[in-house]
Amino acid sequence: MKTPIIVTIILSGSLSLFAADKPLAPLPAGTKAVSIHAPFEADPNDCKQCHEKSDPKEPGKVKKAINALCVECHDDFQKVMKRKHVHGAAEDKCTNCHNPHNASQPKLLTQELVALCVSCHDDQKTQMTKMKVVHGALTTGKKCVGCHNPHASDVKPILIQLAGDLCISCHATDTITDAGGKPLTNFKKLLDANSEQHAPVATKDCSACHKAHASQNFRLLAKEYPPQFYSTYATNLYALCYECHDPKLAADPETTTLTQFRNGSKNLHYVHVNKSERGRTCRACHEVHAAKQAHIIRDGVPYGSAGWILKVNYTKTPTGGSCAKTCHGEQVYARGPATKVQGKPATEKPPAEKANAPKTN
Amino acid sequence: MRPRLTTWIGVLALAAAAPWPVVQGFAFAQTGDVIADAEMPTLTGGTHHLFSNATANVFIFFRAGQEHSQATLREFAKLEKETRSNSVHWVAIFSDRCPTNDIAKDVAAAGITMPVLVDRGDALYGRLGVALCPVVGITDKDHKLLSYQPFTKVNYTDVVRARLRYALKEIDAAELERVLHPPAATTPSGDASAAHRRLKLAERLFQAKNYEKALENVKTSIEKDPTLAAAHVLLARVLFAQGKREEAKAALQRALELDPKDTQAADDLKALSAPQ
Repeated sequence: MKTPIIVTIILSGSLSLFAADKPLAPLPAGTKAVSIHAPFEADPNDCKQCHEKSDPKEPGKVKKAINALCVECHDDFQKVMKRKHVHGAAEDKCTNCHNPHNASQPKLLTQELVALCVSCHDDQKTQMTKMKVVHGALTTGKKCVGCHNPHASDVKPILIQLAGDLCISCHATDTITDAGGKPLTNFKKLLDANSEQHAPVATKDCSACHKAHASQNFRLLAKEYPPQFYSTYATNLYALCYECHDPKLAADPETTTLTQFRNGSKNLHYVHVNKSERGRTCRACHEVHAAKQAHIIRDGVPYGSAGWILKVNYTKTPTGGSCAKTCHGEQVYARGPATKVQGKPATEKPPAEKANAPKTN
Repeated sequence: MRPRLTTWIGVLALAAAAPWPVVQGFAFAQTGDVIADAEMPTLTGGTHHLFSNATANVFIFFRAGQEHSQATLREFAKLEKETRSNSVHWVAIFSDRCPTNDIAKDVAAAGITMPVLVDRGDALYGRLGVALCPVVGITDKDHKLLSYQPFTKVNYTDVVRARLRYALKEIDAAELERVLHPPAATTPSGDASAAHRRLKLAERLFQAKNYEKALENVKTSIEKDPTLAAAHVLLARVLFAQGKREEAKAALQRALELDPKDTQAADDLKALSAPQ
């Protein structure tokens, strides 16, 4: 099912349909063309390939509706435009973005790529100029079309691939750094080495936690998340996590339903996190992307200023688990009797142990 | 419909190539497990069953005032309508920790018509081990969990729709796989694509009797893709129109080498080879 044009417009934020008319006449004589449309290059004085008349001074109307005319030669685009999500501008008229004669930009674009995109998607321009953190991909490489197919795609919002595949196509090296020069994670290496993955990672949905264009939060995070190991507990500081996880996870001291991390009914998430001072943030125990241990428990915790890492050595059991002496002495927790799915083939072992496939959290 | 062998080979190849793990299920209910039904109170009063004997049961856990839940309910209101003629039993479930008024507002705003069940004391939440919200489960008529789908910001409705259609046997495994792992959306580019476009332009110029420009463009087409038989056929026609009979015959012979089944090339060559 194609996304109707109006839906695309709404999804695109404040999109002015379709902004101002772009200049479609040939470039003025003497202006260097970077790209030239083949029929115009073949004979600039024979306009009849596309227009009603040959005369360049008065070529008259084009012979057909613009897109119908374009696909007479560009017929491989017919298949492209049958994808589920179609760029409204492309569905409307190819000439919303392309000059059909010649252009001072590659691919016959009527303007520089980013300027062209933000001429409709002006909300993105605001983000790029006003937000604290801007994704480097917006201003380097292929820019907008590095991630979006400007014509159509099967992935919203006209992404070339699912976010996970797309992001990792760049973030698979050790050489990308943030604005401060700090190296960013090589995700290929990380995921190859760590089979336990956070659900948004396993579902290739990086955009569940990260804004793709710009954000007010570090690492382009969509919402607030404490950057430190310790933090005073407040629900709003964990807004990012609570977009999917239940805030009660760390709010109720006692529970038998909200978390598997409990000793009887004592909520151990509450014990660790919910403190007025030096509460352990999620990162104290969990990796955010992937880990070797169940529940994406991190391999070790930093200790002291010398960069030591103390191993956590988490052990999962059918009804709970244990951590080795690290932050505290060895601690064991047990939820109680093994949980079974009522009235059916028993899940005697926890799912992660039952299934050989990697578990997501 | 029984999937063909080639379909399964394709699915296996895709699966082997994917380094990503498969999302298994709730903490205490994995895909393949049978989940017990429950009769639960509803938002509007009375009770309703979690499952029925419909071909597919869809159950959605959601929260009040949560952006992702609201977006999911809005989208699923449409999906619910789409599947009205199918044997699908839909329910949405919320914890009784959520304020009922807020839930009622979200439900009304989304426009879902499915029963909205109250999970008292988080009994179902705890029984299944629900860690994320919103999340969707789909079972078959025997209440066997067929799929578990936590929220994703991208393509969530497309994925749930495909999982549901797969449960209803409307699509096969290969088609489901194409939705779960869509192929990269490439734009036609490269020499083969350029050769094809140049050929189309050359055809138009030939029809306009602009033989010189047609020749120029069909030659460009052949430069871009020397294996494009149709370009050699057009080249022959242009050359013949320019009175270059022998060169035209050579072009047709080349076209037939590239595509021996090209009947047009064969007919043209026969005509050109006939005594004048």
